[in-house]
Amino acid sequence: MFNEDDIADIKAEKEKWVEKAGNHKDAETFRVTPSGIKIKNVYTPEDISNLDYLKDVNFPGSYPYTRGVYPAMYRERPWTIRMFSGFATPEETNKRWKMLLNSGQTGFSAAVDLLTFYGTDPDDPGVDAEVEVGTTGVPLYSIRGVEALVKDLPIEDISVALVTEPMTAVALTSTYFNVAKNNGVPLARVAGTTQNDIGTMCIGYITRDSLEPDKLLKLACDLIEYCTAMKKAPRWNPINFTTYNYREGGINAVQEIAFGFTNAIDHIEELLKRGWHIDDFASRLAFHLSADRNFFEEIAKYRAARRIWARLLVEKYKAKDPRSIIMKYHVQTAGSSLTAQQPMVNIPRTAIQALEAVLGGCQSLHTNSYDEAICLPTEEAVKLAVRTQQVIMEETGVVDTIDPLAGSYYVEWLTGEIETRILDYMQEIETQGGFVKALASGWLHGEMQKAFNERQNAIAEGRETVIGINSHQENDREETYAPFKTNALAAGVEKERLVKLRKERNSQKILVLLDRLRADCTENKNVMPTVMELMGEGATLGEVAGVYREIWGIWDLPIAV
Amino acid sequence: MKDKTRVIMVKLGLDGHWRGITTVSLILKNAGMEVIFAGFQTIESAISIAEQEDVDVIGLSIHSGAHIPWTRKFVEALNERKLKDEFVLVVGGVIPDADVDALREIGADGIYGPGSTAEEIVRSIQEKVKEKRI
Repeated sequence: MFNEDDIADIKAEKEKWVEKAGNHKDAETFRVTPSGIKIKNVYTPEDISNLDYLKDVNFPGSYPYTRGVYPAMYRERPWTIRMFSGFATPEETNKRWKMLLNSGQTGFSAAVDLLTFYGTDPDDPGVDAEVEVGTTGVPLYSIRGVEALVKDLPIEDISVALVTEPMTAVALTSTYFNVAKNNGVPLARVAGTTQNDIGTMCIGYITRDSLEPDKLLKLACDLIEYCTAMKKAPRWNPINFTTYNYREGGINAVQEIAFGFTNAIDHIEELLKRGWHIDDFASRLAFHLSADRNFFEEIAKYRAARRIWARLLVEKYKAKDPRSIIMKYHVQTAGSSLTAQQPMVNIPRTAIQALEAVLGGCQSLHTNSYDEAICLPTEEAVKLAVRTQQVIMEETGVVDTIDPLAGSYYVEWLTGEIETRILDYMQEIETQGGFVKALASGWLHGEMQKAFNERQNAIAEGRETVIGINSHQENDREETYAPFKTNALAAGVEKERLVKLRKERNSQKILVLLDRLRADCTENKNVMPTVMELMGEGATLGEVAGVYREIWGIWDLPIAV
Repeated sequence: MKDKTRVIMVKLGLDGHWRGITTVSLILKNAGMEVIFAGFQTIESAISIAEQEDVDVIGLSIHSGAHIPWTRKFVEALNERKLKDEFVLVVGGVIPDADVDALREIGADGIYGPGSTAEEIVRSIQEKVKEKRI
């Protein structure tokens, strides 16, 4: 970006400056980011002399999209304020969603309970419904629950994210599609996202009685194929590679993106194998990233990720449609950065992380509530989290110009450095056979555990500072607020709903359809058309996932100590 | 008397947050304890492994917010089998301070919420095992 003479002059001046400012020692002392990148005390044009503006940075909405995926970014369309929320019963969650809507939320996101996540019903003898129903999210195992969840909400205008993984993604999305259709929103218009992320249920978190990773890949791709490639639900994002959930396990920014992209590559390869062209489906491959503690490293991460994704899609996969090439993503501030100690400190932490996401060009954003280190958020705490986004959006002026940090010697250098490291780590995963193979072998679990232990040690030894844990500690651990409690009666409500549903539905028809699903699984057909019918008829997530487990068997997770 | 403290580490129900349990398992192992990493178990299967393996400590890892009902059910099952005094029962996970007294009353011997350090956990378990063996 600068001519050689300029660079030579700057180099000479810098030597003088180091001399004059007495910066000898400091100039040679590096600080290290959480990804292990060594940072100098000052950056100059010399550090980005190889950067080619039009080739590497370019304008917002122009290849390789380093500065953002749209030409006008927030001037035309602010990011979506999308708070991840769900608990107790669909009715109670519906009330919380209305409160969020009134507070200025612009997108919904359903946190489901463990039964819904896992694909089982409250009357299953293998689970303890009293303990599990509605504890960590909203129970949505049938059409009745989803109907109650979205009752009187403007789902024709506001998109809904269904946060569930391949075990139940097809079934829950089908349920939602049926409900939307019944509410006058046809498939052609229904807008939203299914998380549908293998990594989340296998490494970010694990599910009891899960399927082998290649079966989960098949199910995830069935949803993408049906919604996007077959154009049945063209406005739906059928997958959201949720690197956030891997990152929360302790891995660094470089690993986060490399995990996500190698995961996405396995889905691309599977869909190409099914005979589709890259432009038939790539436009709806979306991501969900983290905004963690290191301010500039996170911003550089978003910029680097967009550039890598665009080049990957164009150079390797020969995508032609610009919509296939842009990397769109939701961001969540880092839950793992919150502390139970001095919980109000979580408010500035979250605000700063939200600012990273916005300066990095996110399409939608969830801000954590200050009480989330110990419980689901209270109404007061979650409203404050929404207001945090609104302060950034409406008061600070950071949205007035696009990618305001572009051209910063440091940010551009760091973007390039992170890019190189992500590409190297992606190569390392590819040598393990790719994401899904590395998952099946336990290699990814090993990397996660290693990273987590390393972070624990860093905090214990004071190499990483956490206010309230190893810096500015206070002995008083009294909580200054009452933790949120979910409704203990939820299990009873849900069991009753289920009894009623089983009585009202056409059981004969469901048995026939479940047999068809068995055949689909055995013959490796796309299960989505059958499951769409099943959920419309009142089948449950447990019945559908039960067929998967019956036909394909259970995966013995490669986790050991 | 056994030299080494034996611990079984368990996840109950569907809660699949796994780094807490693996991390604490490693901490206990590094502190010289014998750790049986049992992973997902029912209350019944966890107790029967604990008996067969003659462990000193049963560790429950609960990150779903359901630490009170799970601990209550676990203690009830131990009481029914007249085994409550055979084991040190410890519970770790996302446990608010406000719930610590309730858990202690229910019968948890050690409670390790967010912010517990490795040293605290190891020392507390060693002390409880010592008390139990006397």
